[in-house]
Amino acid sequence: MIAIEDVTFHFGKVLALDNLTLKVLPGLSMGLLGPNGAGKSTLIRILVGLLKPQRGSIHVFGEPPSITNTSRIGYMPQLSALYRELSAMENVDFFARMYGLRSKQRRRERVEEVIRLVNLWERRNDPLLHLSGGMRQRVSLACAIVHSPPLLLLDEPTVGLDPELRVSFWEYFHKLTASGVTLVISSHTMDDAAHCDRLVFLRTGRLIAEGTPQGLCQATGRAEATLEEAFLYFIRRK
Amino acid sequence: MRQIIRDRRTLALLVVVPVVVMSLVGLSFTEESQILDSVAPALLATFAMFFVFILTGVSFLRERMEGTLERLLATPVGRTDVILGYLLGFLLFAALQATIILLFTIGVLKIHYAGALWEVFVFLMALTIGSVNLGIFVSTYARNEFQVMQFIPLVLAPQIFLSGIFLPVEEMPGYLQGLAKVLPLTHAVEGLREIMLHGKGLGDVITELAVLVVFAVIMLILAATTVRRV
Ligand SMILES: Nc1ncnc2c1ncn2[C@@H]1O[C@H](COP(=O)(O)OP(=O)(O)OP(=O)(O)O)[C@@H](O)[C@H]1O
Ligand SMILES: [Mg+2]
Repeated sequence: MIAIEDVTFHFGKVLALDNLTLKVLPGLSMGLLGPNGAGKSTLIRILVGLLKPQRGSIHVFGEPPSITNTSRIGYMPQLSALYRELSAMENVDFFARMYGLRSKQRRRERVEEVIRLVNLWERRNDPLLHLSGGMRQRVSLACAIVHSPPLLLLDEPTVGLDPELRVSFWEYFHKLTASGVTLVISSHTMDDAAHCDRLVFLRTGRLIAEGTPQGLCQATGRAEATLEEAFLYFIRRK
Repeated sequence: MRQIIRDRRTLALLVVVPVVVMSLVGLSFTEESQILDSVAPALLATFAMFFVFILTGVSFLRERMEGTLERLLATPVGRTDVILGYLLGFLLFAALQATIILLFTIGVLKIHYAGALWEVFVFLMALTIGSVNLGIFVSTYARNEFQVMQFIPLVLAPQIFLSGIFLPVEEMPGYLQGLAKVLPLTHAVEGLREIMLHGKGLGDVITELAVLVVFAVIMLILAATTVRRV
């Protein structure tokens, strides 16, 4: 689904990704974990095609990132990136149109569907300014999934969600991967990490470990190690 | 695909149009009638340029800061559509604004008016396209809304003073005349005066129009380089 080879990216002098090689298999959820500044957002933006790496090659759906690919990708930026004066409904509808959902009838049905999915039906007509941070986060997710893309690139989707919503987001993500959708999710929390099929630990732009959550825990040599311990183990080993 | 971006804009526009009318009324009544004749075309051009520049500058800046531009560029829309969407929205706005100003100056203030309306609109269109793209371009260099405003003295004020609204270009010192001659607003004012006051056709003011078109094209290219994926 995604093949990243020897990718290096720097913002001027800052090295954001350092010779990264990685594959993401279809129908699985891949978690990108790492501290602030590890390069998670940069990697996701490269995959969308918003940034171009200085070195290395990227293939998404077997092609280098291009504008034609964007209709198959759902991108949720780290910032909510929505129009604050507009309501949840209007925002989702706007991006649905941008993603090319032409038919008014079908678009309306789909917009209502995703608004219900993120549990904002009662607040659908309030301007975003009047919604809480977590609610905006949900609108942002709704905008990313409105065109039912087979690949979702989500930059910290669970930040600011209450525990109950976090659980329901993950239920939905599991449903998506079960139906063949591929997910790339960046996160700081080990709680999210445990839900992913595969994990990548990143630090200062370098891949320090990759594998299944259980695999990574076992690699520490202690059977009962938590993901947190596994992460620290790999950081220290490097 | 394009009008889409517009309906979001219209929200903002609806708020602004009345403001425009208000400031117009205030400004206009202080003028004497023959002065008004020659000031009206200048005001028309200045208002079009001023408001379009500020509105695009500020809304594009917000689009960049909030990350919605990035989100837009992550859709199949593409940067040409984004710019075209803005252009379309603001052309509509500029046309509406011009209509109001014209109706007001001709109907209420009874200025002498000789030219053809559509020619006035063609002129304003060229100016608006240049102005929208100037706004987009400038938004790259501003970090917040105040900084967009700070571009007014830099970008707009000299144009307004030098465009011949207050003082005919011919009466300025030589070096200022030279400067005035390269600024688009000067040509817009000049062209509009010829059309509105002297009933000239587009053919007679083709140089002025050409300058505006060149300005629009240059700004379009500059704007397009600042809005991109990769
Ligand atoms: N627009 C930018 N200009 C310059 N440097 C940048 C820019 N964006 C990111 N960086 C730098 O690139 C590095 C990686 O940043 P990135 O945003 O990818 O981190 P992240 O893993 O997403 O962090 P976080 O968990 O805080 O979101 C950081 O050192 C950051 O300072
Ligand atoms: Mg990030």
